[in-house]
Amino acid sequence: MELKIGWLYPNLMSTYGDRGNVICLQRRCQWRGIEVSIIRLDRQADPSQFNQVDLIVGGGAQDRQQEIVMRDLKGAKAEAFKNKIESGTPGVFTCGSPQLLGKYYEPALGQRIEGLGLLDLYSKHPGIDANRCIGNVVFELTAAKIARELSATLDAKPIVVGFENHGGRTYLGKVEPLGKVIKGYGNNGEDGTEGAFYCNAIATYSHGPLLPKNPFIADWLIKTALQEKYQEIISLTKLDDSLASFARDAMFRRLELASLRKTS
Amino acid sequence: MPLVDKIRLALAVVVAKTTITIVRGLGLGAGSVLPGEIARRLHPGILPLLFQQVKLGSILIVGTNGKTTTALLLRSILENCGDRVVHNVTGANLINGLVTALLGNTNWIGQLKADRAILEVDENVLPLVLQECQPQFIVALNLFRDQLDRYGEVDTISQRWQKAIKPLPKDTIIILNADDPTLCYLGQKLPQKVLYFGLNEPELYLDKIPHAVDSIYCPNCGNLLDYQGVYLSHLGDYNCSNCNFFKSKPAFESKNYPQILIGVYNKYNTLAAGLVAREIGIKTKEIFETIKNFRAAFGRAEELTVAGKKVRILLSKNPVGMNETLRTVEKIQKTGDASVTLLVLNDRTPDGTDVSWIWDVDTEELVRSGGILIVSGDRVYDQALRLKYSRDNLNSDNFKLIIKEDLKEAIATALEKTPSEETLHILPTYSAMLEVRQILTGRKIL
Repeated sequence: MELKIGWLYPNLMSTYGDRGNVICLQRRCQWRGIEVSIIRLDRQADPSQFNQVDLIVGGGAQDRQQEIVMRDLKGAKAEAFKNKIESGTPGVFTCGSPQLLGKYYEPALGQRIEGLGLLDLYSKHPGIDANRCIGNVVFELTAAKIARELSATLDAKPIVVGFENHGGRTYLGKVEPLGKVIKGYGNNGEDGTEGAFYCNAIATYSHGPLLPKNPFIADWLIKTALQEKYQEIISLTKLDDSLASFARDAMFRRLELASLRKTS
Repeated sequence: MPLVDKIRLALAVVVAKTTITIVRGLGLGAGSVLPGEIARRLHPGILPLLFQQVKLGSILIVGTNGKTTTALLLRSILENCGDRVVHNVTGANLINGLVTALLGNTNWIGQLKADRAILEVDENVLPLVLQECQPQFIVALNLFRDQLDRYGEVDTISQRWQKAIKPLPKDTIIILNADDPTLCYLGQKLPQKVLYFGLNEPELYLDKIPHAVDSIYCPNCGNLLDYQGVYLSHLGDYNCSNCNFFKSKPAFESKNYPQILIGVYNKYNTLAAGLVAREIGIKTKEIFETIKNFRAAFGRAEELTVAGKKVRILLSKNPVGMNETLRTVEKIQKTGDASVTLLVLNDRTPDGTDVSWIWDVDTEELVRSGGILIVSGDRVYDQALRLKYSRDNLNSDNFKLIIKEDLKEAIATALEKTPSEETLHILPTYSAMLEVRQILTGRKIL
């Protein structure tokens, strides 16, 4: 079996250790003997390269870099990307990248940046002197499809642990939220939602990076990608994730969420 | 100074100085922040009052990496020429820390006895300081991604700096790193006298641009910059083919300039300090003499002997810095002089509360080297996960990871595992470095 991971603008959208998500997916494939390759979807990339990938990963960018990305991700490229997501290719978009999947983003300085319009959401920066939403974040995955599929493999509710660090605030339209905030700000610090879920695409402000400490999401992405590609039921070899459990529990302990702890 | 001001100043000084004495006397630390805070409560305008009294002017040093080393070198150069220098030596670089450092050199009625002040200033605090004080020099070393949780992004910081520096008197001298496009662009926009330092040594180019790079885009037009080569992170030789933005010419030919310690980093630190010294009017011969005899600041490639074992502490507080320290450690490991490495990751305010940066560090080579890796700190499991995900193969590699939540135990284990002819390398974040030093030396420095 072979998995091709498309990495969106690695040079422009890697502000907060988001490459950790790519590393995590890559290693979890390698450790299981699944052949894996990374396709860098840079500015030089041809729209046809989008069609070759089985899974798409995008990270956060600074405002200036985000603008450059949006100038590039247009026309045939944007179409190829949208078709990919809407035909069921899984994706994980963290930190700033959900903003560019939405309708538009208004930065603190400068012009409104038009988004892809793939997700029915918009984002706004409340101004250069406004507080950033910073801190450890914990939320429950509630998006129906992924929550249902995960409940078959997890013996408890899927709880995500991450770190958020965003100036912009995101407001959802008719798109399903990814989860419900337990600790932290989430999309906007007001409505208790975090991220968005559409087709098989996960969008979230949570980095940290997201996947190493939430390996069940990494495996859901790999499994879904392979199932979509080979059109058969895939079951992945179990890996030892005890280090991730310790890391999660250390955070639950610190945030006084003892009931979520798994290890003693 | 009006009499009322004099009295208030004296009162603030007496209370603050008493605090310093008490804090130090009780062994609670160096008292490098609290006295400043108290003094500012008693007299909010104390910073400019102290600032004005520095006889020959002040030098502010900003930048993500290298502030302390550059400040120490410049201080040594000036002191060797007979100047009395005030310096916030403990790295307390927020406003309270600056006030405390200046207070430490006043008499009991607030008269400052110093020819010059060298002040390391936090990136975000610089605009606040410049609202109240007029330095003679501002030195900006570099702008890397560091504590984004507190500061937002590199672009935002440089915009704030520009706004804060622009209104300063025209005879303020601005010393900038030409190899850093963001700073070079800043310099080209300022009305003051701007001088640059930088490298011109293509033989030092890295083979490839490391992952932990922030600004490879033109700060003027946003186009991809054309790099002839990079020396470290995004510092290099570049130009923009779209808008003709290009690197300003450095004041020195770097090849002919000596350097302190080891590493490309310290080349930049040396050039920056040397340039300020030259502008002050110190002779090249005297500058070079001090460079030759310079020793490391605490935790910056500092070497200690503990229980008969050699220990080297390499502060590693952000991806760029840590990639450089790892490069150094891997080089030493190849010679057989080291095999044990202790990594300590904290997430307190001075470290930055967001530890996601460790995933921008290239730890793969360290893991492949097969030495013993020990991890500790507030975020010990995050660091352990990063190292685990640096493994190519879970079965056939030679992965030796020891996890110790307790730092004392971690250090004891690391020392015990280090063969007596080898050097133990400790790579801590900032607050972890202070803890490590305290455990190793039995003394607090902050």
